[in-house]
Amino acid sequence: MLAEPGHYDYAPYTGRPRIVWPGDARIAVWLAPNIEHYELEPPNNPRKVPWPRPVPDVLNYSHRDYGNRVGFWRLADVMARHGVRGSVSLNVAVCDHYPEIIERCCELGWELFSHGTYNTRYFYDLSEDQQRAVIADSRETILKYSGQSLDGWLTPAITNDETTQHVLAEEGIKYTLDMVHDDQPMPVKVRNGRLISVPYSLEVNDVPLFQNRNTPVERYTAIVKAQFDQLYAEGAESGTVMCMPLHPYLTGQPQRIAALDEALAHIVAHDGVWLATGREIAAWYTEYYYDAFSKWLAAGTPGGRR
Amino acid sequence: MSGPGIPNYLDYPWRRRGLDHDRFLHRNLPQAKPVVWPGKARVALWVAIHVAHFPMDMPRQPFVAPGGVDRPYPSYWDYTQRDYGSRIGIYRLMRALDARGLRATALLNAAVATRYPALAKEIAASQWEIVAAGVDMGRLHHGGLAKTDERALVKEAVGALRGAFKSKIRGWHSPAHSESMRTLDLVAEAGLDYVTDWINDDMPYPVNAESGKLTAMPLAWDLSDLHLLFQQHMDTSEFVEQVLRAFKTLYAEAAQTGSGRILTLTITPWLMGQPHRIRALGAMLDRILEHVGVWPATGAEIVDAWHAGG
Repeated sequence: MLAEPGHYDYAPYTGRPRIVWPGDARIAVWLAPNIEHYELEPPNNPRKVPWPRPVPDVLNYSHRDYGNRVGFWRLADVMARHGVRGSVSLNVAVCDHYPEIIERCCELGWELFSHGTYNTRYFYDLSEDQQRAVIADSRETILKYSGQSLDGWLTPAITNDETTQHVLAEEGIKYTLDMVHDDQPMPVKVRNGRLISVPYSLEVNDVPLFQNRNTPVERYTAIVKAQFDQLYAEGAESGTVMCMPLHPYLTGQPQRIAALDEALAHIVAHDGVWLATGREIAAWYTEYYYDAFSKWLAAGTPGGRR
Repeated sequence: MSGPGIPNYLDYPWRRRGLDHDRFLHRNLPQAKPVVWPGKARVALWVAIHVAHFPMDMPRQPFVAPGGVDRPYPSYWDYTQRDYGSRIGIYRLMRALDARGLRATALLNAAVATRYPALAKEIAASQWEIVAAGVDMGRLHHGGLAKTDERALVKEAVGALRGAFKSKIRGWHSPAHSESMRTLDLVAEAGLDYVTDWINDDMPYPVNAESGKLTAMPLAWDLSDLHLLFQQHMDTSEFVEQVLRAFKTLYAEAAQTGSGRILTLTITPWLMGQPHRIRALGAMLDRILEHVGVWPATGAEIVDAWHAGG
């Protein structure tokens, strides 16, 4: 076992090359709806049991199914009303199961990136060839249904194995979301090729908040606003990234959807906000800051108040 | 390091258009045919009450039902706290609903009716609808149950409730929303026509069973007092806030889409029937009922209206 991921060296939040986002924006805000399918009868994995109850876990399966039947449509309407695009963390089998959902995403100009094939097919214990096969499947499926290239990656159910980031880079993935170690994009150390991390979030993520931490609805809006206000303020010094992961089966519920509406209204009312997709953030950073950050890291992170 | 992988892990036998089972079809709610409720109401208000019995010696396997006894045996606290619901809490709910002219649907464990015939009589006198909710909370329907055993469970529950009530029993709720792959076939076989376990929609939809069609009804879980108050330790005011928010969303959606919606108020006598909560329940109901276009209905009435106007 590894004692640390080994994909990055320590980088203080000071003395870094200054990031300026397009249009002189100080913060890049991106929304990542996780559009998923959890299988009723998934195969066994040695390290993770898919359902808390015996199969069929009707309660938990159908809870997630709500997202595709009802929640997604509500979520998409609210985001469209605020002019905010999504970057879809997509279990790509959704393209085959529910192509109407993909059509709606494309109609709204959303990015599709891969969240594996199903959310019940983990990367734990997959061989590298098996990991490559899943990535190739994602690339082909996303291209076939949307005409888009596969640029981003979040391992299904965050079950990446030790070699996954290396395999991603070798397969031409441009950005990974498997690590939440920073509020800015960062170069990822991989054995071949080039990969960057783009900030995802476990803090303003509706699963930990609504499902694990029992967060009241109004608190959700307050947390999102507080996260935004701080990153917006810090963005005056150097551009920051705020990610809002969403799950239609939770935030798309009738008792919660207004909380997203209120949070987005707060964000879009500010100047200097770049409403971006994951792909756009990764591309801008790679174009203008990858080399500067790599050089700064290679030089031992000079600067700051030291 | 990466090992040899997991054989056949990337076979996807159900990867196809639609769902990964044949129980019902996928439906995108915005594309569902609009339904018109009686009186052109915008929102049907369905009050569904879990009237459950938790035996003190209930098994912990294959899992403990939400609200189930999980302290060491013999847990007098857990047992009596739940039993309070059938002795006191439910009568408070009856008074609150009666005062507002509302009839509930009781999701009734058969054990409650057989153990407490006095309560069964009161429920009948309130003209509540009876939905068969299995035998008791210790007798779960699940994948590990043999077909003959599960058939006997359904028969026992439905038979006991048919014996205790004159009104027709049409609906089924499996304790803890838990089913085996064949539960719905057995429920249809027992002559019931609507089911309430799958929490994947805001509106009814047709379900396949071996011996005919069933209708799925959207019993709330995320918005239930059992989930919010008991499992998530929310305050009563947060429960009320969430119900009213859901109502507001559904009420607006009904106007926008021209299709009726359903607010399912799923409540539990030993939770919302507590003295410190009952007035909040009444006030919440009043907030909903002051709106024009709210149709209070039982589950069976909603199923019938959906078939007539869907």
